[in-house]
Amino acid sequence: VAGIELPHKQWPELVEALLSNIHQLPAHTRQATLETLGYICEEVSPDAVDQDHVNKILTAVVQGMNASESNNDVRLAATRALYNALGFAQANFSNDMERDYIMRVVCEATLCPELKIRQAAFECLVAISSTYYEKLAPYIQDIFNITAKAVKEDEEPVALQAIEFWSSVCDEEIDILEEYGGDFTGDSDIPCFYFVKQALPVLVPMLLETLLKQEEDQDQDEGAWNIAMAGGTCLGLIARTVGDDVVPLVMPFIEENITKPDWRQREAATYAFGSILEGPSPDKLIPLVNIALSFMLTALMQDPNNHVKDTTAWTLGRMFEFLHGSALETPIITQTNIQQIITVLLQSMKDVPNVAEKACGALYFLAQGYEDAGSSSSPLAPFFQEIVQALLTVTHREDAGESRLRTAAYETLNEVVRCSTDETAPMVLQLVPLIMMELHQTLEGQKLSSDEREKQNELQGLLCGCLQVIIQKLGSSEATKYVFMQYADQMMALFLRVFASRSATAHEEAMLAIGALAYAAGADFVKYMPEFYRYLEMGLQNFEDYQVCAITVGVVGDICRALEDKVLPYCDGIMTQLLKDLSSNQLHRSVKPPIFSCFGDIALAIGENFEKYLMYAMPMLQSAAELSAHISGADDDMLEYTNSLRNGILEAYSGIFQGFKGSSKTQLLMPFAPHVLQFLDSLYMEKDMDDAVSKTAIGVLGDLADTLGSNAGPLIQQSVSSRDFLSECLSSDDHLIRESAEWAKLAISRAISF
Amino acid sequence: MAPHDLRRPFKRPAISDQQRRRELSLQRQAQNRLDAQHHARRLASTLLFLQPPQSDPTSEPEPDPEPEPEIAPEPK
Repeated sequence: VAGIELPHKQWPELVEALLSNIHQLPAHTRQATLETLGYICEEVSPDAVDQDHVNKILTAVVQGMNASESNNDVRLAATRALYNALGFAQANFSNDMERDYIMRVVCEATLCPELKIRQAAFECLVAISSTYYEKLAPYIQDIFNITAKAVKEDEEPVALQAIEFWSSVCDEEIDILEEYGGDFTGDSDIPCFYFVKQALPVLVPMLLETLLKQEEDQDQDEGAWNIAMAGGTCLGLIARTVGDDVVPLVMPFIEENITKPDWRQREAATYAFGSILEGPSPDKLIPLVNIALSFMLTALMQDPNNHVKDTTAWTLGRMFEFLHGSALETPIITQTNIQQIITVLLQSMKDVPNVAEKACGALYFLAQGYEDAGSSSSPLAPFFQEIVQALLTVTHREDAGESRLRTAAYETLNEVVRCSTDETAPMVLQLVPLIMMELHQTLEGQKLSSDEREKQNELQGLLCGCLQVIIQKLGSSEATKYVFMQYADQMMALFLRVFASRSATAHEEAMLAIGALAYAAGADFVKYMPEFYRYLEMGLQNFEDYQVCAITVGVVGDICRALEDKVLPYCDGIMTQLLKDLSSNQLHRSVKPPIFSCFGDIALAIGENFEKYLMYAMPMLQSAAELSAHISGADDDMLEYTNSLRNGILEAYSGIFQGFKGSSKTQLLMPFAPHVLQFLDSLYMEKDMDDAVSKTAIGVLGDLADTLGSNAGPLIQQSVSSRDFLSECLSSDDHLIRESAEWAKLAISRAISF
Repeated sequence: MAPHDLRRPFKRPAISDQQRRRELSLQRQAQNRLDAQHHARRLASTLLFLQPPQSDPTSEPEPDPEPEPEIAPEPK
């Protein structure tokens, strides 16, 4: 109730009333009060509570956490309440004395005899590290000591939180350092204190110790999370934070343990190596990887322990993910070792499901490294048939449902197809009837239990995804498209049958595949429209699974470009639904920018026939434009969203102007010109649009000038955009912006030359 | 206020293939939209170069146009 009423200032006496309980004698009253305060802080936004109340809540909570509180239930409730109240404590964390006090109480609570309190106190430290990273410096040495002790000696739930503290500090420093290195911002608001780098010499050995504490069979348990897993994950984050510096600290551990008879030592060493492969420079890693690679290939074949093999295959995948590809100067995969690598991976795909799954993953990144081969020969081509056959065999394994194995095999097949070259196109084509047959089999109506149906839907999603990738691949070249299109009718019939299922994922995948098919089929797609239309409408109405809705909006664009004016008979229905979507409060906001872009696609396809939609679409565009023009004070997320909204609106205008170009009805657009120009001017003045918006905006200026010609000449001349914005874009560093600006310049010079 | 789940992805790639399929579709659609837009503009630009201003179909009809066939070819 407070969550609803407090933001509207409708329950002003609540906090005071609760606080009056704090000094009551019965412990359960204090406990319940602190829990309630915790829930309120969890639910309510910090700006709904005034600072005076925040101060009082924090005082009550911190008092409840204090060692002088003898009742553990009260102390636990207070510690958990503090976790939720941290977001309210901005002002208090800016005050040295108050912050010192809060930090002291939290650190003391990490030493409490009661496990749950220690765990909750570490949770507070984790939250503080992400919310108040810039305030940590004075406490980091103490926190290091506390976390090190917990990792070594405490019970697992506490040790996990202590490791999480360092993972969270890594997250913060990775973000800050990324901003330092970014091209655009150049700097970060928060400086990096390099806590991880400073703690490195003690932090790394501490984490390496945790790697030896694996649980038996943890790889078969999807929900497993233990100290070895957390330690390795943290080590991976450390490598991303500090780069090269981590390598010399980890290598001795690897060398010492990798050949030990105890599987735990071999696994820990392998896991440590795999964990540090992202972050350090290729110069540092490649010599090591060159040595490790053949060792790992042997281990994957010969190690008697499944856990070691799982981690070995995963490590090979990481080598290929980060150190193999056209961007790297020295290849780790050469003509000499590629045969052995593939033989080992394919062999390993016959191993137990968790190992086979990792082998598929390694093959995924192996293929990805050749994605830039283009139409030239790929080193993978000689093995293509063998690889595809092995992956299909995996999908048919009885135990492929375990450890995501079937999914991994299909996903790897997708990547192998994506990265294939012309020389293997005939083999990709041979896959089409095979995958279609698989999909057909899932659609045959047996009576299934709900569990079986769920698996069936998952499989349908995978198969539609695979067909989508194949359509995209073969449809992208005229030579292969022609042969491939012989399957289009059958394929479309199968996709339509998938819509009979109730699975959002299957719908999404079928819809994506249909979009790709529409692009490949072009105007011929019109024959599918009578049957397909109802599913298109259904997708546009799917507010709940907004991803399905968003994808369907994209497919409407594909269809418009494929059918051009032949889409007209369906436009009334589509526009009605899109307008409803825009007006809905239920639909996720991320779908709205693509809907505006879709207006542009429709208008470009049907030209002046868009006339009847102008009276509905234009007011929507205008009000969205006004809202999106000025957003001062918004945070980064809001600015990003606003820019995507602006882009959608501008793409709509662009399509509408271009669609009407050359028609006798261009004068219908004249009344909207002043507003569009005003929108462009205000975007220019706000100075917060990104490059994509600049490019689209200056293009719209050209489209407007091109379509309205001399009628709009005087209006255009009055706009700031046609002078300052245009000249700024003409000298932009971004060639796409310059290109759009050249277009605008040409169209404007013509419009005003009369 | 139960303890918070702190599990991180374990031995999993940063993005799933499903996510990749979505993103690649969006990229293709954005590229196709751009191509359609370019196509429309290229047609217009070609006309601009081919046509003398006087023969612009969207402009107000001139009372007495004076074509200059020796400078620019007649539009088809």
